[in-house]
Amino acid sequence: MALTLVGLSHHTAPVEVRERLAFPGGQAARALVALREAGVAEAVLLATCNRTELYLNPDSDAALARVEVFLAETAGPLPGSLGRYLYRRVGDEVALHLFRVVAGLDSMVVGEAEVQGQVRDAYQRSAATDPGMTGAVLNRLFQTALAVGGRVRSETSVGEGTASVASVAVDLARKIFGDLRGRRILLVGAGDTADRVVAALGREGVEGVMVANRTYDRALDLAGKLRGRALRLDETTRALADADIVLTSTSAPHPLITRAMLAEAHPGGLARPLLMVDIAIPRDVEPEVGGLPNVFLYNVDDLQRILDEHLDRRRAAAVPAEALVEREALAFASWQRSLEVVPAIRELRERGEVVRAREVEALLTRMGHLSEADRAAVEAFSRRLLNQLLHEPTTRLREAAEEGRADQMIETVRFLRGGEDDG
Amino acid sequence: MVIHLIALVLYLAAFLLWLRTLVAGGRSGGALAAWTAAAGVALHLAAAMRYAAVFRELPLVGLGPSLSMLALLTGVGLVGALAVREGERVGIVLLPLAILLQATALVAGIRPSGVAPDFRGPWFVLHAGLGLAGVVGIAVAGAAGWLYLAQFRELKAKRMGRLFQFLPPLSTLDRLGRVGTRVGFVLLTLSLALAWAWTVRFHGTFGQDRAEMWWGVFSWLVVLVAIVARGLGEGPPERRSATANALAFLLIATGYLLLRLSARPGVGFL
Repeated sequence: MALTLVGLSHHTAPVEVRERLAFPGGQAARALVALREAGVAEAVLLATCNRTELYLNPDSDAALARVEVFLAETAGPLPGSLGRYLYRRVGDEVALHLFRVVAGLDSMVVGEAEVQGQVRDAYQRSAATDPGMTGAVLNRLFQTALAVGGRVRSETSVGEGTASVASVAVDLARKIFGDLRGRRILLVGAGDTADRVVAALGREGVEGVMVANRTYDRALDLAGKLRGRALRLDETTRALADADIVLTSTSAPHPLITRAMLAEAHPGGLARPLLMVDIAIPRDVEPEVGGLPNVFLYNVDDLQRILDEHLDRRRAAAVPAEALVEREALAFASWQRSLEVVPAIRELRERGEVVRAREVEALLTRMGHLSEADRAAVEAFSRRLLNQLLHEPTTRLREAAEEGRADQMIETVRFLRGGEDDG
Repeated sequence: MVIHLIALVLYLAAFLLWLRTLVAGGRSGGALAAWTAAAGVALHLAAAMRYAAVFRELPLVGLGPSLSMLALLTGVGLVGALAVREGERVGIVLLPLAILLQATALVAGIRPSGVAPDFRGPWFVLHAGLGLAGVVGIAVAGAAGWLYLAQFRELKAKRMGRLFQFLPPLSTLDRLGRVGTRVGFVLLTLSLALAWAWTVRFHGTFGQDRAEMWWGVFSWLVVLVAIVARGLGEGPPERRSATANALAFLLIATGYLLLRLSARPGVGFL
């Protein structure tokens, strides 16, 4: 059977359905074992927050049917059948789809880079299953896909710029401070976006999170989660003197951080840069603060404008990226077609080898006076001759198969071989 | 001359690679550009050693040799900046400078000038070598200063385009500027002290009315002001320092050009 893909993604299924087939933690590895037990020999399971896809090299329609049953059982009861959310790709379409996925062209945020690592992990997980669940075709498919993803990101601008508020904040901090280890962050207020920004900065080595909140208990709670220090809101001015990065996200109706507060926190002017990211509406930081010489103040509109610019650039770059992906998918399809003549080539070589061995043996029997070295030389000569005779036909067969003439070539080989008796 | 020319071509190739990296938003090609520049510096060094072996003097006297040596030391400064992460991107400013110097040197001819300065021997080699290396320190600091101001402007203007992505972080540029100025100042001071000691010992006077001397003293003062500027005045010290370093290098280079252009025919200047 041809290479097959069964899956669902943000294009076809709502989050309530996607989360049923998310396979978090070690569940993906267990799912592979379950699939093997169900009779699926070769499979790669790609499960991200936006998609769950199974790449298969099934040996029968029955194996494919078992995969769909497995997915339906895993998802459990749904409004309607799982089938309405699933899509299937077969043959050449599979490579094109995977290459688009790994390049980030099928992602919710075009060009996102995370999917490349997720595909690599999925492939390695299948290959590492004992025994491995990737054969020659799936190995080639995923290795090519990862190379295509790398090329798309290095040769086009599709991954250029950042695509979330958290990554913009990290980019800004990096361009101001370089190494972020040991930098201190002051978080005023709380919220999902603020949490994500703090987590992203934490991964870069930012330490010493200070959390100020109108409700001190909430500050204590957040500080505990972020392994930081809780402050009362009236301690903000003092904290401003220590902070390198300030992140605000309260729902206060008026600015909480004013130019006067910064002047009080830094009486001699700011001796070192201060990055302020204000994601609150209405704004938490007085706009005049951005006019201070060493302050880099970004509000929600600034961040949104930056994100829009980056996404526009990515969308424009998607055109050459799609072209590159299509070229690579065509090359993969050619390689796959060339596999169709492999049995014919093997047959041709085996027949040649039988004839060679028989003729060499007959010759050496007649020439019993030859030394061991001479006999070895005759043997080596016959092998070289056979290889040279078969090299050109083998190459031509592969080329013809890549051009889609595999059936015709296989027939020709059978005709040439005829019913001749090997013995 | 051929090796000098190949070094120039490599500098040019490295610069074009930097430009490509800039256009690509700083994503790729940086390492190749840095290695190409380093290869150019290695070849340039080989050319300088060959010059010394053939003519039995270092390429320090005469317009062509001294400019070529300055280009070489600029390249060495760039290689030194490789030690700092993303620091090599000052190449976008330093390489055009090295290219200009080396191209001018090649046009002027990299051969002995025939001028036999009374100030020669190990004293002179040390004095000129330290002086040129000091100027290169200032060039690195100046380049870092220009880039700092550009990145500062991008951050204040809230642009996160290709220039923003290409330029190193402010902290990296500040560190390069600080190290470049301080190393440059120390080397210039040693160079001037040597020249002064020689003048006192062999001419029995504290100073001579020579263009080189005025340029040296002027450069030393300019760098001193640039260092002091960091700690004085209002506003962010890093930005003040970047502005001072950028201006310092511009003043030193302009001073050199003015003295060079106003030098009387037949009178050797560097």
